[in-house]
Amino acid sequence: MKRNPIRGLLLALVVVAGLGCVWQLQKRIDGIQKATATQADNLTIRSGRLLKYMSLEYSPLVAAMYWTRAVQYYGEKHRLHDSNLELLWPLLDVTTTIDPHLLPAYRFGAIFLGQKKPAGAGEPERAIELLQRGIRENPGEWRLYQDLGNLYYLDLRDYAKASTAFAEGSKNPQSYVWMKIMAAKIAAEGESPETSYFLWQQIYETSKDPAIKKNAEEHLILLTATLDMKAIDQAAEQFERQSGRRAARIGELVEAGFLRSVPKDPEGYPYVLGESGKAELNLKSPLLEKMLLAK
Amino acid sequence: MRNVWAVAANTFREAVRDRVLYNLVFFALLMIGAAVLVGQISIGIEQSVIVSLGLTAISVIGIFIAIFIGVGLVSKEMDKRTLYALLAKPLERWQFLAGKFVGLAMTLAVNTGAMTVGLYLALWSVKHPLTSNDWYLLAAVYLILLKLVLIVALAMLFSCFTSPFLAILFTAGIYVAGLFAGELRTMQAVDLSPSAMAVFRGVSYLLPNFENFNVMGVVAHARPVPLALVWQGTLYAAVYSLVVLVGAAMVFSRRNLK
Repeated sequence: MKRNPIRGLLLALVVVAGLGCVWQLQKRIDGIQKATATQADNLTIRSGRLLKYMSLEYSPLVAAMYWTRAVQYYGEKHRLHDSNLELLWPLLDVTTTIDPHLLPAYRFGAIFLGQKKPAGAGEPERAIELLQRGIRENPGEWRLYQDLGNLYYLDLRDYAKASTAFAEGSKNPQSYVWMKIMAAKIAAEGESPETSYFLWQQIYETSKDPAIKKNAEEHLILLTATLDMKAIDQAAEQFERQSGRRAARIGELVEAGFLRSVPKDPEGYPYVLGESGKAELNLKSPLLEKMLLAK
Repeated sequence: MRNVWAVAANTFREAVRDRVLYNLVFFALLMIGAAVLVGQISIGIEQSVIVSLGLTAISVIGIFIAIFIGVGLVSKEMDKRTLYALLAKPLERWQFLAGKFVGLAMTLAVNTGAMTVGLYLALWSVKHPLTSNDWYLLAAVYLILLKLVLIVALAMLFSCFTSPFLAILFTAGIYVAGLFAGELRTMQAVDLSPSAMAVFRGVSYLLPNFENFNVMGVVAHARPVPLALVWQGTLYAAVYSLVVLVGAAMVFSRRNLK
């Protein structure tokens, strides 16, 4: 049979044009669906045990899928500034039931659950339940005790339990020596900006999730400012002891040699001395609002 | 022994020439490649995803090959009537079965080996250098291979006395049941009498326990695989496969091929 090149070309053009039409049509349909869609959270199977049976011998893969779904769910809600994270706990529950040794699900899942809204689900009790389950299933993982201690310290401000958690974790010979130091320091002092700074730094350094990292970074910035102001207050006290009067401005502390220069907050705004003689954030500093919100 | 080897070599050549087989290997490599992508959209489980997805691909594709080609080993020869020409030669029926079994086991070993190389490449792409714990993956792959060999034996047994369709169903059914053999043993049922429980218990020991070959959860978290599990699993697969093949040979030798 003789081949007709024009016919072939026409057919190719029809195919290309058809695909172009399909492309455009799909974009229009997507637009309509986006406009009419209702945000519906859905998790059809909530039984981890059932899913474990259904996944046959491939439960690690299914658990990884559920964990990925939990991460995506948290990320998407965060992106949309939606603080309703009602599916987070069922997703984490299913994930850790299918694979009880999936450590990231406990460690990062507890952060997602424990943080206050809108950064997290604001469910620290669930976060504790998740971590305690993780410890039961993985007793050799001292990092889970660290996370439990962080949760008690940073979110629940329960310093006795935080100290106990760090102390329990420090019994593991593989744990870092600072676990023992944290246990003792928290038991003795309760909350202190130095301890908080250290714990947030640990979270910042070990977390791979951008949202968790950003949250830790924000806390570290505020804590840096708190520690700076604490140092200025100490210099002001020394000035008062030496001169017998309170300094009216930070410049006087510099002139007297207690500070090398007028310190600036992490946003670059110089600190000021308030009417009480204590260091404060500059009224122009954007950190002021964040600091007030954090309190 | 020479007869067995001749059949095995031919079975291997035939399977390697089979285009479906190449497609399956390509699919496995594609899935392992996808593992790298999945690792990027989650947190802290890149290695776990790559290992579990890779091992799942090796296992699932291997099971498809073991069941579908395993069932076809005998039935295809009968359908094409090439079996008659073969058995007219000085070749015992059991030798034919054993050769077919060894040939497919070799094919599976080559396929599994290729997929393992792909899996290690995927793993290396997200984590280098590899650590000593990553070599436990080889134990997991080896155990998967043992499982596949046992499935081939079962598929051949069923194909000796029933239609290919039913043989596929029976083999797949036994595989799924074998995954729950342990559960059957520990099952707590209020309504069951002690004698019924004893029967279930007995059945649970007689069923091929495929959970013996499952260490995916262990290696996915880079934990060591006990050496005792590997050698006892090897012994279990060898003895069980031998028993099944002897049964298959008995059935096949009595089968009227006219």
